[in-house]
Amino acid sequence: MRRSRWQDVTYRNPYLFALLLLIIALAVNILLQPNLVASATLNSNMRVFLPLILVAIGQAVVMIGGGIDISVGAIVSVVNALLATQIGINGDPGTATIMMGAALFVGMGAGAFNGLFVAYLRLQPIITTFASSFLFAGLALFILPNPGGGVPSLFTAFYRETILLGLPLALYVIALTLAAWALVRQTRYGRYLYAVGGKPDAAYETGVPVRAVQFSSYVVSGLMAALGGIAITLLTGSGNAQVGDPLTLSSITAAVIGGTPLSGGAGGIAGPIMGAVILGLVRNIISFANVETWWQTFVNAAIIVLALAMPGIINLVRRRNV
Amino acid sequence: MTRRYFATFALLLTIAATLAACGGAPGAAAPTTAPAAAPTTAPAAPAGKKFTIGISNPFISSEYRTQMIQSLIDVNKEYMDAGITNELVIESADTDVAGQIQQLQNLINKGVDAILVNPSDVNGLNDTLQEAVSKGIIVISVDQELNTPNVYNVGIDQKEWARISARWLAEKLGGQGNIVLIEGFPGHPANVARMDGVEEVLKEYPNIKVLARDTGKWDEATGQQVMSNFLASFPNLDGYWTQDGMAIGAMQAVLAANPSKFPVVVGEGRCQFLQLWDQRLKEDPNFETIAVANPPGVSPTGLRIAVNMLQGKQVDKSKLGGANGLSFVIPVPVIVTKENFQEVFTTVCKDKPATYLLDGIMTDAEVQQFFVK
Repeated sequence: MRRSRWQDVTYRNPYLFALLLLIIALAVNILLQPNLVASATLNSNMRVFLPLILVAIGQAVVMIGGGIDISVGAIVSVVNALLATQIGINGDPGTATIMMGAALFVGMGAGAFNGLFVAYLRLQPIITTFASSFLFAGLALFILPNPGGGVPSLFTAFYRETILLGLPLALYVIALTLAAWALVRQTRYGRYLYAVGGKPDAAYETGVPVRAVQFSSYVVSGLMAALGGIAITLLTGSGNAQVGDPLTLSSITAAVIGGTPLSGGAGGIAGPIMGAVILGLVRNIISFANVETWWQTFVNAAIIVLALAMPGIINLVRRRNV
Repeated sequence: MTRRYFATFALLLTIAATLAACGGAPGAAAPTTAPAAAPTTAPAAPAGKKFTIGISNPFISSEYRTQMIQSLIDVNKEYMDAGITNELVIESADTDVAGQIQQLQNLINKGVDAILVNPSDVNGLNDTLQEAVSKGIIVISVDQELNTPNVYNVGIDQKEWARISARWLAEKLGGQGNIVLIEGFPGHPANVARMDGVEEVLKEYPNIKVLARDTGKWDEATGQQVMSNFLASFPNLDGYWTQDGMAIGAMQAVLAANPSKFPVVVGEGRCQFLQLWDQRLKEDPNFETIAVANPPGVSPTGLRIAVNMLQGKQVDKSKLGGANGLSFVIPVPVIVTKENFQEVFTTVCKDKPATYLLDGIMTDAEVQQFFVK
C-alpha cells in the first residue's frame, strides 16, 4: 500500500501531531487563562504534570520495544509508600536522599521482574504486567495500609517552588530526559530497541539480543515509574498506597497521543511528554471554560478520544483525496 | 535523528521561555489577573463585594456526590438571590491527587474567596491548601476531616456514626453471636474511623465473635457478592455489620439466599434500602434494622458556614472540635429504626428516587450556633 505524504511525515516525526495539538491546547488555555504563562502559574501546572510525564516516558520506551507496562501505576504507589514511611515528615535530609536513591533501585527491580517474565519466560506483556500490578499494589498496601507518613517540607518546597531563570524545575527535568534520550538514540542500543519493537524475528536473525533488549525496556520503565513516584511524593508530601493507580492508563494515553503506536517499533519520548502536558492542559481548559459541572467528565473524555483518533481520521481523509 | 530531538527540546524551551517572558513579573501576576476569569455578571453589587465560592470534588461516580453538588447549587442559589454570592465555581471530575491539586490551583487562580474541598487524600493536599490559606482564601474540608492548620472541617463524626449502628447491632443480638463485617475501602480515612468505632463497641461485647471481615469497596454489587460468600461459608450467621453503599447489596444477598435463620442486619440511610425493609416487613412483620443517614448535606451546611465567615462573623472556637480543633461537627440528621420507619418511608422517600440519600442541611439560622453572637 502506498503511503501518503502525511503518513510519511508523521512516520518520520512521530511527535508532530502531538506538537500541533500542544500548540492548540496552549493557545486555547492562554486565551481562557491569560496568566498561565506567568512563571508561578507555569510552575504550579508543570509540577502537577511532571509525575505523569516521567511515567509516560517509561511507558513509551516499553511500547517502542513492542511491549506494554500495565504495572507502572503500582510501581509509583510502591515508591510513594516506601518514601512516605521510611523518610517521614521529620526525617533528616541524609536518609531522605539515600531512600530516594534506593527507590530508583526498587523501581528497576520491579521492572526487572516484569522483564524476566516477558522477555525470558515469553509471557504476554499485557497479562504479565497486569498481574504484577496487583502484586506491586499489594506490596504498597502492605508497606502503608493507611494513608499517612510524609517527607520533610524542605524537599516538597524544593520540588514545588524551584524556579530557575523564570523556568520551573519540571522543564529542566524534561530537558535532562530529552538529552539522555538523544544520547541513547545514538547508541547501538537505541537502534536495537526500535528493531526489536518493529520486527523481533528479523532483529533476532540479524543478531540483535532481542530478549536482553526487551528485558531492559521494562527496567527503564520501572526506573521512570520510580522517578514519577518520587515526583508525586514531593508534590503531595505524603503517602497513599493508591496514589499511582490512575497513572497507568494516563501514561498509555499520553504515549499514544504522542505518536507511539501500540504495535511498537516507532515513536519517541518527545511526543509522550507533550501528550502528558496536553492531558493536563485539557483539564485546565475545561476548568477555565466554565464547562457545566455535569458535562466536565464527558467533555474531558471527548477531547481525549478526539486526540487519539485524529491521526487516523487525517489519514482516512487524505487517502480519499490521493 | 538526534538533531531533531534536540530541535524539539529547544522548541519546547523556547515556547516556555516566551510564555514566561510574556507573563511578566513572577508571582505578582496571579492574583491581579485572576478575577477576569470569574463570571462577570456582577454589574454593581448592592452592598459591597459579592463572594465567589469554589468547590473541588475529585470523585463523581456516586449518588452521594451527585446529591452533594446539586444541593450545593441549590443552597448557593439562595445566597445569589439575596445578592451575597456569585455563581459557584465547581471543579468536579473523577481524578487523582495530582488532579485535585490542579483543581485547587485553578480555583486559587480564579480568585475565589472560599474553597470547599472534599479531599481525595488526607495529607496529599496540605501544601496546596496552605497556599490557598496564605492567599487569604477560607478553606473548608467537607465530608472528610483533615488535620491541616488553618483548614476548617465540616462533617459528621464518622466514628460515632458507625458506633450508632454497631451498638444497635450488639444490643439486638443480646451481646452474643457470630457476626461478619463488610467494610469500605481499607485505608480510606472515613472507613478507618468507622471501623475504629465498630471495634470500640465490639470490645464491650466479648461474646460477640467476628467470624470474618471483608471489603465491599462501598459498592453495591461487591457488597452483594461478599455477603453471598459469607452466607455460603457461615450458614448460621447471627448478624452482620456493614455501612452505606454496600448495605443494599448485602441485604439483597440475604433476601436472595433466604437463610433459615434471618441474620440481624445493619442498613443504610437510602430510600432504596427502606424499600427493601418494607418488602421484608411484608414477609416478617417483626423484622427490624437500622439506617443511619450519612448526609451529603454537610457540604451545603459548609457553604453556609463559609458565607457567614466571609461576611465577617467570628467563629466561636469553643464550639469546634476534631483533631485540629477546627471541626464543625454536624449531628447525624436521621436515624431510622422500627419506631420511625413508617414515618420516614412514607414521607421523606415518597417523592424521591430510590437512590436518594436521607439528608439534612442546616439552615442559615442553625449555623449561627457556631458563631459569636
